[in-house]
Amino acid sequence: MTYPLLLTAFAISTCGLVYELIAGTVASYLLGDSVTQFSTVIGVYLFFMGIGSFLSRYVNKNIVLTFVQVELLVGLVGGSSATLLFILFERVESFRILLYGLVAIIGILIGLEIPLLMRILKDRLEFKELVSQVFTFDYVGALLASLIFPLILVPYLGLIRASFLFGLLNVLVAIWTIYLFKAELPWLRSLRAMAVVLVIALVGGFAYSDKLMAFAESSTFQDPIIYSTSTPYQRIVITGGGKDVKLFLNNNLQFSSRDEYRYHEALIHPAMASLKHPRDVLVLGGGDGMAVREILKYPSVASVTLVDLDSEMVSLFRDQPLFSQLNGDALKDKRVSIINQDAFTWLKRCHNTFDIAIVDFPDPSNFSLGKLYTDTFYRAVKKVLGPQGLVVVQSTSPYFAKNSFWCVVSTLSSVGFQTVPYHAYVPSFGDWGYVIGAKSPFQLAASYPDGLRYVSADTVNQLFSFPKDMLPTINSVNKLNNQSLVHLFESEWGEYAETH
Amino acid sequence: MPRPISRSLFLKGLVGLTAGATVGKLWYDWMQAKASIPCKMLGPSMSIGHKLRDGATLGRKSEQPPEECKVTIIGAGISGLSAAWWLKRQGMTDFRILELESHVGGNSASGSNRVSAYPWGAHYVPLANQESQYVRMLFEELGIIAGYDSTERPIYNELFLCHEPQERLFKDGSFQEGLVPKRGLQKSDSRQIAKFFETVKRFRDTVGSDGKPAFAIPLDLSSTDQAIVSLDKLSMSQWLQDNGFDSKPLLWYVNYCCRDDYGSALEHVSAWAGLHYFAGRRGNAANAENNSIVTWPEGNGFLVDKLKQGLKDQIISGAPVIAVSDSGSAVDTVFVRSETGECLSTKSERVIFAAPRFISKFLLKGDLAKSQVDFEALSYAPWLVANITLRTVPRARGTALAWDNVSYYSRSLGYVVATHQNITTRAGETVVTYYLPLSGSDPNVARHELLSTSSEHWSKVIVADLEQMHPEISKDIIAIELWPWGHGMIRPSVGFIWGDTRRKMKESQGKVFFAHSDMSGISNFEEAQYHGIKAAQGVLDQLRRS
Ligand SMILES: Cc1cc2nc3c(=O)[nH]c(=O)nc-3n(C[C@H](O)[C@H](O)[C@H](O)COP(=O)(O)OP(=O)(O)OC[C@H]3O[C@@H](n4cnc5c(N)ncnc54)[C@H](O)[C@@H]3O)c2cc1C
Repeated sequence: MTYPLLLTAFAISTCGLVYELIAGTVASYLLGDSVTQFSTVIGVYLFFMGIGSFLSRYVNKNIVLTFVQVELLVGLVGGSSATLLFILFERVESFRILLYGLVAIIGILIGLEIPLLMRILKDRLEFKELVSQVFTFDYVGALLASLIFPLILVPYLGLIRASFLFGLLNVLVAIWTIYLFKAELPWLRSLRAMAVVLVIALVGGFAYSDKLMAFAESSTFQDPIIYSTSTPYQRIVITGGGKDVKLFLNNNLQFSSRDEYRYHEALIHPAMASLKHPRDVLVLGGGDGMAVREILKYPSVASVTLVDLDSEMVSLFRDQPLFSQLNGDALKDKRVSIINQDAFTWLKRCHNTFDIAIVDFPDPSNFSLGKLYTDTFYRAVKKVLGPQGLVVVQSTSPYFAKNSFWCVVSTLSSVGFQTVPYHAYVPSFGDWGYVIGAKSPFQLAASYPDGLRYVSADTVNQLFSFPKDMLPTINSVNKLNNQSLVHLFESEWGEYAETH
Repeated sequence: MPRPISRSLFLKGLVGLTAGATVGKLWYDWMQAKASIPCKMLGPSMSIGHKLRDGATLGRKSEQPPEECKVTIIGAGISGLSAAWWLKRQGMTDFRILELESHVGGNSASGSNRVSAYPWGAHYVPLANQESQYVRMLFEELGIIAGYDSTERPIYNELFLCHEPQERLFKDGSFQEGLVPKRGLQKSDSRQIAKFFETVKRFRDTVGSDGKPAFAIPLDLSSTDQAIVSLDKLSMSQWLQDNGFDSKPLLWYVNYCCRDDYGSALEHVSAWAGLHYFAGRRGNAANAENNSIVTWPEGNGFLVDKLKQGLKDQIISGAPVIAVSDSGSAVDTVFVRSETGECLSTKSERVIFAAPRFISKFLLKGDLAKSQVDFEALSYAPWLVANITLRTVPRARGTALAWDNVSYYSRSLGYVVATHQNITTRAGETVVTYYLPLSGSDPNVARHELLSTSSEHWSKVIVADLEQMHPEISKDIIAIELWPWGHGMIRPSVGFIWGDTRRKMKESQGKVFFAHSDMSGISNFEEAQYHGIKAAQGVLDQLRRS
């Protein structure tokens, strides 16, 4: 019975090291900076192995039973560790507590294994043989693990499956031990049942690991995902729970069908209605077609030119009935022409003239988006507008990021637009800001198209006043060579994210 | 009781494991090698240069009569092209430019691939000083300077000003903004850094006894006040020591700047040159910070392309000059057509020699060969430049990707991002240009190392260096192209800039005028352009008088 038991030393040490490597790798994937993640995971793991070894002194009665239980538990926790980490990453408040907690539990259990095993074997081998053999198998197992992990497990199985596989191995060790000691062990039946259940669960996890991975992603969103794709430019995810369809680009909410009418009515109508006969309309960004839907409510409109980088996004909202119904098939309208190009580059080459330009880009959360909010960009917009021309810019929240909002205002003024800032309350976003830039004096309209639910002649005035807590404390113009908006935006939203 | 493991079993096991590990390692290496990154060594045509040096015969005689023109310009780098630009501006178009390579631009040449254009050498120009009038003139002509504001500050085209963020430094595990070390400083480091910048600021505002700025661009317009010029007689490291600067992060930074601009370390650069880097740049703009620069995806290749437009009839590329001699009435310039191997020549009244100055000792024949210049005193820093095409922008800890990305720990200067100036939101493939001045050893030794090492080896060195900043970068590399510059830049060694050799280098020899940036002792766009224009002016002057 000695060799079979020594083989278990080999198996459990392989498993132990694999779990440690899995935790280190998942942490590096999710948190970046592999050096830190690996060092801390290994450190914590070894420390808790020490604790486990220490605790082994308190196991006095049925050592074999405890050993079997430990194996079953390691199989469960270790086997599901990668899955747990991936799924809970988005869900838990502090991922690090989860990570190190899990590493600690596995560490303690693994730390218990070898001392228990040695005590099981102590009557069968001379002390010096015992030590030499157990540790030989232990270290050889460690070598094996550290070789097969990068060479075979990660490339061919992936982390989730590898962890289930090794969980299974631990459970098999338990079953093996049960078999070897069936004469001495109490509760044989329940131990066997437990082992069988675990085997089924782990095999199931191994087989369905793809589904689990998908679930890990969906847990980021509250509602079920009804569509998701990665285009060369962004990750598009659409969720739908009941009547509420939400669009996420790179995990940022773009609209919720419950209240997007507020956002889009406020974006379009104050400026559009103020023009007598808007004919040619330019939309930059806004590939979801909601803005176009509002624009087409003006019968004078003869052409809408939509420039959006992402052709997949546009075809989604033009050709998929589920989503095109949201914009009332606006993108299929004959008057709409769609251009899949970079707005900035396209503008620089554009020689047409428009009555109004709608600028609806994602928030300036990085330096390449920041370029679409610069004075150079607005100068290019100004060039394609007629003498009475208007531009409207979605310009983040004047409540959460007031200096960012007013930076857009100053930037538009700096290129010679008369600016008219305003804001609207959109429940799923909060208080949201827009700026109208006008080439000649701007006057609000006296009437609006029929059927609007948010903007109306009676209430529109309210949008144009700003309470004190939305006024700027810094004044700056966003330029290609200072990107002050991105810096402001980072600090303001960063602050908000920290305190909430 | 079972048998304990016998010694022989243990040994066999050990042998087995060793064998297993060896096979595993070999297999692993094989897999890695299979996945190795495609790399290619490009670079200037060295064989012709070496043949010239060794006096080998080049080309066969042709029956064609020499081409007659008023001026022959040898070399189409920035200096040669600027000489041509000036001649044309003055209404003179009867000239030829002979360029060794099949492309023009010299150290400012650029390349391009599916992803982006990128520089092979020079990649930026700082904002032009007030006295850099020719730079301003060119910038106005090209729309780089769009106008001036009410206080006479130039308004630059913002697409060309380096977009924010301009620079970042990798130190202590992550990137910080700017290149002056900020993290992990002792109080005394911060104090010294502040004092250093105060000192150079004072130099920037200093005017010599002759009323000229202490440090001007081009440097020939600097004051010749002995008090200032004598700084050329000691090394930058000596000056720092004399002035009590010994903070490691500060020395790192100053050394970085010397390696960046002169391809040489502190000890090999004169204090005058070292300080010129900091105190010379006084450019300003209505719409940018004073330390701004202008840059393009293709680097100064942008300027080369603009300069070469309109010179189509004059440029003959793939035409290494092999001999220049004065036949009394005219100068004969013999060159080889690389395509056909034929020797052709021009017969012209004047020659502007805009190839590196040391080459003149191989090319000038007869009376022209009697040069006063001590060519042994010229020292050139070798450089290796690599353009690396990446699947995605490199990920790292700390601040976001900048135009210039530098590591505190590397012997390279880091890399600049060719797509930084793009006005696109497409994230994705990019090209980065990696700069490695071989400033560690003696230039001759380093040059040998540069040219005798295989491209595979250099790629490995470069990837290993980049991995320090970006641990996962290797899997994102699509291709690496390398460009060795054997004689990349002249070195402003102690005593060179204000010494005899440089003075003599600038003097024309009979009908031959010299134009290369070598004549400044430091190599950059402004100096190259200045010498090109000065040579053109000298030629026009003489032609007008004769
Ligand atoms: C790696 C590197 C990075 C640099 N970065 C910058 C930078 O960022 N900013 C900056 O301002 N400067 C930079 N420089 C300096 C650069 O050298 C100058 O800006 C400028 O390009 C020098 O121009 P030039 O005409 O003086 O010399 P060169 O560029 O050397 O031009 C000489 C020309 O002569 C040709 N030639 C040589 N022999 C012959 C022959 N026998 N017959 C015909 N033609 C011949 C050569 O092919 C070449 O085209 C850099 C240099 C290097 C090496």
